[in-house]
Amino acid sequence: MTPPVRKLLIAVAASLLITGALLAAPALAGDGGLSPVTPDAPGAKGITDTYWFITGFVGVVFLVVEGLLVAFVVRYRRKNRARDADGLQIHGSSRLETIWSVAPVLILVAIVTFVFVKLPGIKNTPVANAAGARLNIAVTGHQFYWEFTYPNGVIAIDRLRVPVGQPVRLTVTSPDWDVIHSWWIPALGGKIDAIPGRLNHTGFVADTPGIYVGRCAELCGVQHAAMLDSVQVMPKAEFDAWLATRAAQQTAGTSSLGQDEWVGACSKCHGLAGQGLVGPSIASSQTLQSTSQLDVLLQNGKNLMPPVGRGWSAQQLSALSAYLKKRFGSGG
Amino acid sequence: MAVNVETPVAPTTPGWQRGKVASWLVTVDHKRIGILYIATAAFFFGAGGVMALLIRAQLAQPDLHVVTRDAYNQIVTIHGTTMIFLFVVPILTGFANFLVPLMIGAPDMAFPRLNALSYWLYALAGVVLMLSFFAKGGSARAGWTSYPPLSVQSPGHGQDLWILSLHILTLSSLAGAINLLVTIHNMRAPGLTWTRIPLFVWSIEVFSWLLVAVLPTLSAGVTMLLLDRQAGTHFFSPSHGGPILYQHAFWFFGHPEVYIMVLPAMGIISEILPVFARKPIFGYKAVAYSTVAIGFFSMLVWAHHMFTVGLPTYLNSFFMLSSMVIAVPTGVKIFNWLATLWRGNLSFDTPMLFSLGFLSLFTIGGLSGIYLAAFPVDTQVHDSYFVVAHFHYVLFGGSVFAILGGLCYWWPKMFGRMLDERLGKASFWLLFVGFNVTFFPQHLLGNLGMVRRIYTYHEHGLWADYNLISTIGSGVMALGVLFYLAAVVKSINGRRAGNDPWLANTLEWYTTSPPPPHNFDSVPYVTSARPLYDLRRALKERNAL
Repeated sequence: MTPPVRKLLIAVAASLLITGALLAAPALAGDGGLSPVTPDAPGAKGITDTYWFITGFVGVVFLVVEGLLVAFVVRYRRKNRARDADGLQIHGSSRLETIWSVAPVLILVAIVTFVFVKLPGIKNTPVANAAGARLNIAVTGHQFYWEFTYPNGVIAIDRLRVPVGQPVRLTVTSPDWDVIHSWWIPALGGKIDAIPGRLNHTGFVADTPGIYVGRCAELCGVQHAAMLDSVQVMPKAEFDAWLATRAAQQTAGTSSLGQDEWVGACSKCHGLAGQGLVGPSIASSQTLQSTSQLDVLLQNGKNLMPPVGRGWSAQQLSALSAYLKKRFGSGG
Repeated sequence: MAVNVETPVAPTTPGWQRGKVASWLVTVDHKRIGILYIATAAFFFGAGGVMALLIRAQLAQPDLHVVTRDAYNQIVTIHGTTMIFLFVVPILTGFANFLVPLMIGAPDMAFPRLNALSYWLYALAGVVLMLSFFAKGGSARAGWTSYPPLSVQSPGHGQDLWILSLHILTLSSLAGAINLLVTIHNMRAPGLTWTRIPLFVWSIEVFSWLLVAVLPTLSAGVTMLLLDRQAGTHFFSPSHGGPILYQHAFWFFGHPEVYIMVLPAMGIISEILPVFARKPIFGYKAVAYSTVAIGFFSMLVWAHHMFTVGLPTYLNSFFMLSSMVIAVPTGVKIFNWLATLWRGNLSFDTPMLFSLGFLSLFTIGGLSGIYLAAFPVDTQVHDSYFVVAHFHYVLFGGSVFAILGGLCYWWPKMFGRMLDERLGKASFWLLFVGFNVTFFPQHLLGNLGMVRRIYTYHEHGLWADYNLISTIGSGVMALGVLFYLAAVVKSINGRRAGNDPWLANTLEWYTTSPPPPHNFDSVPYVTSARPLYDLRRALKERNAL
């Protein structure tokens, strides 16, 4: 073996070892990123199935191409031949060209067919099933929080609660004065963008109770990385009870809405204790104590602060105001 | 003082233009302009690389604060913009400038002064973009795609300077592309028909047509962006055109741009592989026509970047099919390159190593693209690190490996000296291993749910592990680049190259290294795609007689 070839083989072995190590890590920790997050909804499962279907073909093509490459490199290396000795002077082959044009077409037809077969199950959320009629929820992306509005007027921030097994339909958008966000809970399905001036729809049927996390997937500004969200899938009875209680509390002004707004809309820039983060420290600001000043600030924003509360109902505004007075007011 | 072009005798160069520096500043020689392009682009590669290392340092572990959030968004934006607009496209333009006239046996480009203008506009655009960091409020921070409304709302003048820089670059590229087209169409040596021109020239032909076809759309898009920002228009406001309009304009340019960056790289590979395999390229016509096919289809696939904006299913289906169609000519190329190796006499000099690296890495990038074309799957991997991994396999594993290989290959022609093989090979292995260590785990991160362009993350476990591995890989890559730089510096005193150190096939090797200002004293009549191979064989036969 000539030194360059030995070096080549050593390097190939090294890269294989590294690849192996990379693949071993996920093997030890379950799937670990070889495919999308373990699905918990039929739609998301349809996507993961398609992913693995494609992976089958991709794996074969990968092995064929890289295998031939390595085989040719080893087999046809120069060895003792003169540097300028001709290889086989062949200019092409129509038959081979046809084979490697048609074979990919067949693979692609198979993949496309599989996609279209799976598509209805991925895209469509049933109008109703045994667990009940479809629950419609409005999802609005703001800099830098998610706002959920239930049919009965209940408003939630960053944590969406839904009943297990019941179809959920999300109408996703962003206010006209905001920017594009993207709704994504990997375990429950693919992304859908929240775009100012557009109503997009997506949906899912969650299989098992639990908390599924996600984050905004479209760069939306300085705190894009802080725009985390989650879906809590609850047993149906528990969900119904929560929704009813929350509605009553919200009307009475005793819900946690104010606190949720603080955590979701304010604290990502000003810190959980209002100590300042990307935005200034506001813990001792007079504005927090003045309902009218606070409303103006939330409606209009200030300098780099987006108008996080524009479009909020009086109920939403007073919830935050009441919470802030309690939290940061005299003796607070 | 300008040179009087109407004088029938050779114009004399004024004394001040003959200085070591001045002669480069006033040059209209395509070879010098090509080298200026390559050197300037290499500088921006360094700048963009430093930004990449900052990104990887910031993401090495959860909750780090290496740079501020705002600085991070600026760095991400300018890293992408720099690598695409100031490095890959211009360095390929530099290769085209240096090589096309030599490869077709011409004395220069069709319009030498326009050529100089293209270069200086490019340099100006680069200065504008880099200085935008010092604008009030910092540079652009809405990503290299600069989607409105975020880019419209972005405070300060960084975004405006980003637009200005792109406008200047567009003018530069349009002038350059037209110049290349006119040159290729009109200045080929006798006998150099369309089925005999080097495949690199074919790739530049399609590269130039694509630039002419799609750059105006980018200009229109960013002009509307500028007007929305500064003149109070509503092209992209929700009540009028809507933010999606910009995405259509941007990606109608943006996807062909990918092939603008990849086709010339494929052209470079198609030149290098036959020389180091001592064979003709397998399926010359298939490789040439697949270049044209890729160029054409690249203009029909743009909305596969928009599968999550909520387009109707029939549109998503159309763009899935058109995107998958591109896999066919791409596959044709890959198999023809493999067949070129078959029964060859392979030498593994640095240019060949980089070309083989291209072949193995670009294949991975092409295959991961299939997931993105299947639109339901794309809704999972879109805007995640899976996509980041995918386009780095295409653009670094593909374009950059070809560029580095091409630079080794043509370095002796450019400067008359060989690059050091030991440093070159070390550089290749560091980059090849470092690249995979950096970018392979990013596929997995994307599947775990890591979205792109986030400043930090809180997840530990695999997220932290993969990110750390990726950051370590980026350090190995940086070392590889430094080795390459060392080879370049060492070549100042490197081994002298003859006219044709690699025993190559194409006309640029017929003249001296470096070539004289007028390129050729005479050009042989061309009877095949391998004029120099023919010449060498004729000489051998004559000796034998």
